[in-house]
This record gives sequence, C-alpha cells and structure tokens, in this order.
Amino acid sequence: MTSAYRLLISTLLTKGRLIFLGLLGLLPVLLAITMRAGSSSVPVDHVYDAIVVGYGLGLLVPVVSLVFASAALGDPAEDRTLVYLWLRPVARWKLALAGLAAALSVSLPLAVVPLAVAVSVTGASAALVRGAVASSVLAVVAYCSLFLGLGLRVRRALVWGLAYVLVWEGAVARTARGAARLSINVHARTVLAHLADHALPKNASSWATALIVPLVFTVVAWLLTVRWLSRGDVA
Amino acid sequence: MTPTIEVQAVTKWFGDLVAISDVTFEVGPGITALLGPNGAGKSTLLRILCGLTTPSRGSVRVLGSAPRGDVDLYRRLGLVPQQESLFDQLRAVDFVRLCAELSGLGGRAPAAASAALGLVELDPADGRPVSTYSKGMRQRVKVAAALVHDPEVVVLDEPLEGLDPRQRLRMIELFRGLADEGRTVLVSSHVLDEVERFGSRVLVMVQGKLAAEGDFHAIRELMDDRPHRLRVRCEHPRQVAAGLLETGAVLAARVVGTHLLIDTDEVARLRRSLASVARDRDARLYEVVPLDDDLESVFRYLVERR
Repeated sequence: MTSAYRLLISTLLTKGRLIFLGLLGLLPVLLAITMRAGSSSVPVDHVYDAIVVGYGLGLLVPVVSLVFASAALGDPAEDRTLVYLWLRPVARWKLALAGLAAALSVSLPLAVVPLAVAVSVTGASAALVRGAVASSVLAVVAYCSLFLGLGLRVRRALVWGLAYVLVWEGAVARTARGAARLSINVHARTVLAHLADHALPKNASSWATALIVPLVFTVVAWLLTVRWLSRGDVA
Repeated sequence: MTPTIEVQAVTKWFGDLVAISDVTFEVGPGITALLGPNGAGKSTLLRILCGLTTPSRGSVRVLGSAPRGDVDLYRRLGLVPQQESLFDQLRAVDFVRLCAELSGLGGRAPAAASAALGLVELDPADGRPVSTYSKGMRQRVKVAAALVHDPEVVVLDEPLEGLDPRQRLRMIELFRGLADEGRTVLVSSHVLDEVERFGSRVLVMVQGKLAAEGDFHAIRELMDDRPHRLRVRCEHPRQVAAGLLETGAVLAARVVGTHLLIDTDEVARLRRSLASVARDRDARLYEVVPLDDDLESVFRYLVERR
C-alpha cells in the first residue's frame, strides 16, 4: 500500500495545484496580518466569522480537499493509468486507503496550517486556534473521503464538487434543518463553536453528533469508493 | 491441452452497442494471436479476460479463477494495455519497480525491475522520466511492467504498435521465448503479417464475433482460397475476358468501360493465364489491381462463411 500511496502523492503534487492552493492558503494569512496591522486587538467575532467560518471552513478547506481528493484516484482513472495499480494483487480497500491517505497528506497541511497561522496572527485566543485546527481537520477528513469517491465515479468532479460545496453546504444546509444534519460544514462549525466557546451556528447539532456524523460520512464514503473500485469498470 | 483461459458464451454490450457477441474459446500455454480489424472487440475481450470489465453475459476463467473479484490472480497474470498512458513523472525503472512492489515482490523488486527492463532492451539506469520516451520505448516499458512479476499468463493488447522493425523482431522473439517456457501468451493484433510471424494459433474476431480459429496456416489458406475480385486494365478487354473464361481460371468476368472486373477463387492460376491470354489476343496489359485484398474484406469473408 505504501508504494501506491507514494505514487498517488507524486501524481497529486503538480506545480499548478500547489501554486493555486498555496495562494488560496496565503490569503487568510495576509488578511489576518492586515487586520492586525490596522488595530492592536482584532475583534474575535471578525476572526471567527471572516477568517475561520467564512474563508476557512467555507472556502479553503472544501476547495483544497476537493482539488486533491477528487484527483487522487480520479486523475489515474481519467488518464487511464489506474489500470497499472488495479491489475496488481492489492486489495481494493488498500487502494482506496492509499488514495485517501494521499489526499489527506497534501490537503491537511495546505488547508489547516494557513488557517491556524492566520488565526494565530490575529492574536486570537488559544481556544479559537484549537477550534480552528480541530474543525478544519475534521472537515478535511470528511471532505476528502467524499470527494475521493466523487473523483473516481464522476467526470468533471471539480465542477460537481464545487456545486456541492456552494449549493448544498453553502445554501441549502444553512437554511434547512434536515439538510444541516448531512452538512460537513455545519458539523465542523459546531465543533468550532464548542471548542472556541462561541455561539452555536444555526441548525447546530450536539457536540457528539457533530463529531460522529462527519466520521460516519468519512467511513461510508470510503466504503463506497472501495465498492466502486471493486465493481466498476477500469478504463 | 489444459486450458488456462476459458471463455464461455461471452457477450458484452454498452447500451445499444454489442461489442462482443457470444464468443467461446479456450487458450492453453503457448502463443495465441487474437487477430481482427480495429473495432472488432479485441480490446474489450482482453479487458474482460483481465477483469477490467465484466461480461454482460457468459463467463470467463483464467487459471481456474474468475478474474473479477480474485485479486490474487494478478500475481499470475500480466497485461500490456492498449493505452499509451504511463505515470509520466516516473523513470522507467521506478515505474516497473512500483509494479513489482505492488505485485508483492518486496525486496526483490529492484532486481526484478532491472531484469524486466533488460528483457525489453531498456536501460534501468536511464534517469529520464517516461514522459520523454518515444512511443516505442513507452510500449517496451509497459511490456516490462507486465512481465516484472513473472506471470504465467501474459495478455498483450497490440504490443507491437509503435515499435521499429528491429524492436518488433526482438519482441516477437521475447513472446516466443515466454511461450516456450510454458506460459500462456495471448497477443492481439490487427496486422496479418505480424500474426504470421508469431507462428501461432489464431483467433480471428470480426464485428464482435469469433470468425475463425485454428492454426495460422489453416487460417491463411482459408483466406487465400476465398473468391477474389481483380480489376484489369488492358487493350481489347472483351477478348481478354473471353479468353480468361475459356481457361476456367475465373468465375466471372465483366467489362466496365476500359476495365475488366474479374472474380476468381484461383488467384495463382489466373496470374499464370492472364499474360498468355493477353499475348495471344495481342492485348497490352497495363494494370492488375486486387480490389478486396485489404484485411477488412478478408475478415468479412470469414464472417460470412460461418
């Protein structure tokens, strides 16, 4: 499995992706520096709403996860190199795990570190930094598992993934209570609010639910990826 | 012959398109060539044999196992897929070693990778990524990757594409060597002459059906014995046609403008008669063109006669 993992990492790390997503991660840090430069103490609500919830959990985390996770197995499937991994005596769950591990290895540093740095730069409390890190890690894990299968199953996974992030997570789940139960973003914001001792978001679930549902999401999505790898056609 | 590959009544369709229709055959150790024009269903059949897709109907067994669902089978099976794509950022040796590692060779993987690259005359020490390789070199990398784990069954989809004549010869020798070692080698091709050089058993596929199977020479004779149509451009075509009909070497002769269209099932006899018939009638011969000698028409004939 480590061979497949190393290979998938190397295919994920393209110059274009690293530059684009590196810049995307740099933006909240620059925003935080600007906020800090303008005032000796940045209001915690600004940091919480603008940097962590709005930019971090709303854009940076899902986009970074989408780009890398949908490409981890999606790119080899699309350029027809997946056959070289698939035609080896490697259990399909191991290939799916290698894909998820590769996506996480790249997405976590590129999404979580800039967010943590940005929050720290504003001089926010340690609780908020901890909340930002924990909620973004939780969201990256769940998104990566979800988008790993999407990339394998769907052509133009980036477009569908963005539609999911913007329409479902960004709009539907923020208004409909039922939909919120299936929203990674809402659960991540709930974890953030609990850890940062902040007001809970609209449609928030309990502390335990906010932790368990994204993990269930992760496992179910990963199992579906295993199933698709086992039963789907390989080009 | 103990069959290593068993294909039983396999049909595969994609929506309304029937890619393979009720194909049954068995393959044992040695070289077997899968011959057919482009679009005949060869690649789909090979993909089914390797478990990359499932048959819509029928069954396939390779070394006694269903290829779909038995990942351990891939320890004993190697495929050279038709597509050119490789992991372009890797060096050839890294790619082949990766295949060896994934096949469970562990610490033996580096040596196996070097040996496999040596078999296809590529330098394991070459530091260039495969993205810089020519089509022929990429093809050889794929062959090395398919052989690195020493499989009992080797399936090769158009493996000679993009190779120069010397490399083709070398590759054919390699496949023959694998067969001589008792392995099952199944090679697809759409080039008749290529298949002739394998000197092997042949399966002919046309329009998704198995049109013929057997020893190459029997198939070749079958192809040569089919009715041929030729166009002859000559002086006095009517007299030449009458003369040819008298010899009995032609089935039919028709004058079309300044040309003569001839149907025959004895090409060699016609060739001998034509010059003397023309000479006897004081007719100059300008051109003799076979009209249906392309592979497509040969394949069509084989299908129609079944």
